[in-house]
Amino acid sequence: MIKITIGTATFALACSLAIGANAQLVTIKQLSLPIAATIGTTAMETCKAQGYNVSVHVIGNMGEVLVALRGDNTGPHTMENSMRKALTSRGTRLPSGEFAENVSKTPNAGALRLGNMIPARGALPIKAGEDTIGAVGVSGAPGGDKDEVCAKAGIDKVADQLK
Amino acid sequence: MSKIYRLAGVSLATALACGLATSANAQLLQHKDLSSAIATTIALTAVDACKQAGYNVSVHVVGRNGEVLVGLRHHAAGVNTFENSWKKAYTSRTFRIASGKFAENVGQNPVAGQLFLANITAARGALPIMIGEETIGAVGVSGAPGGDKDEVCAQAGIDKVKDQLR
Repeated sequence: MIKITIGTATFALACSLAIGANAQLVTIKQLSLPIAATIGTTAMETCKAQGYNVSVHVIGNMGEVLVALRGDNTGPHTMENSMRKALTSRGTRLPSGEFAENVSKTPNAGALRLGNMIPARGALPIKAGEDTIGAVGVSGAPGGDKDEVCAKAGIDKVADQLK
Repeated sequence: MSKIYRLAGVSLATALACGLATSANAQLLQHKDLSSAIATTIALTAVDACKQAGYNVSVHVVGRNGEVLVGLRHHAAGVNTFENSWKKAYTSRTFRIASGKFAENVGQNPVAGQLFLANITAARGALPIMIGEETIGAVGVSGAPGGDKDEVCAQAGIDKVKDQLR
């Protein structure tokens, strides 16, 4: 009797888990193009106002490029670099500068072998609450810290829409 | 005597070569390029124009060398539209004509050599950005139900900055 009861309970639990897992779709928040474009152009203009020409990428939840902006008179690598910084930030859910710090003591870190990861400061994750839904990467200022300031300005501009 | 002629000939040739070399190096090429601000205005205007027509599109603006100046992915546009808008723009810049015109040109010849070049696409929806007769870039649009409708939005983008294209 006891055995049967346990068996039934196990079966019921398994069923409820299976149903629970399939019962509803995952709901996530996604950056819209207007918000992403505002982040991108604000980051570029902020750097421009400080005298730095930069390129900017804003990427979405799956690392897809939402906005790409090549700055006037920027080095040719800045497009790739801003994209890779953003992707690194999205992937690690961290500022790319923090990732760079983390791996500086472990040059063999596996994360450095993943496609497009780059240990370079200048990108920040874009968050809705605790969830990372994208990232913005900046390249072209003389120093990743200065790039990062512009990335931050972009996010700050739309802070009230990120919820 | 013949030696003198020969020497004179060598001198003349040298002088000519030097003259050519000098003029070839005497000044750099100068041209006007799209600024980031103008390119961004073109792209955002194209997105808005299609939005108002009821279409969600992705847009690319490329510069003189086909380099991407601006890429915009609409959040509700099809996955392929980002790549497609870029290839259309690149095609338009390369051939200095509307990508739809290129599509027409190769329509009768499915093995046209140009179609085998990387990133060339025979699809309407991109227009060259010109200063007078000179092509300095292109704008490509993808996502509307028909390349003709994409092209209208590309045109709107260029029209918006018309007075700055000179």
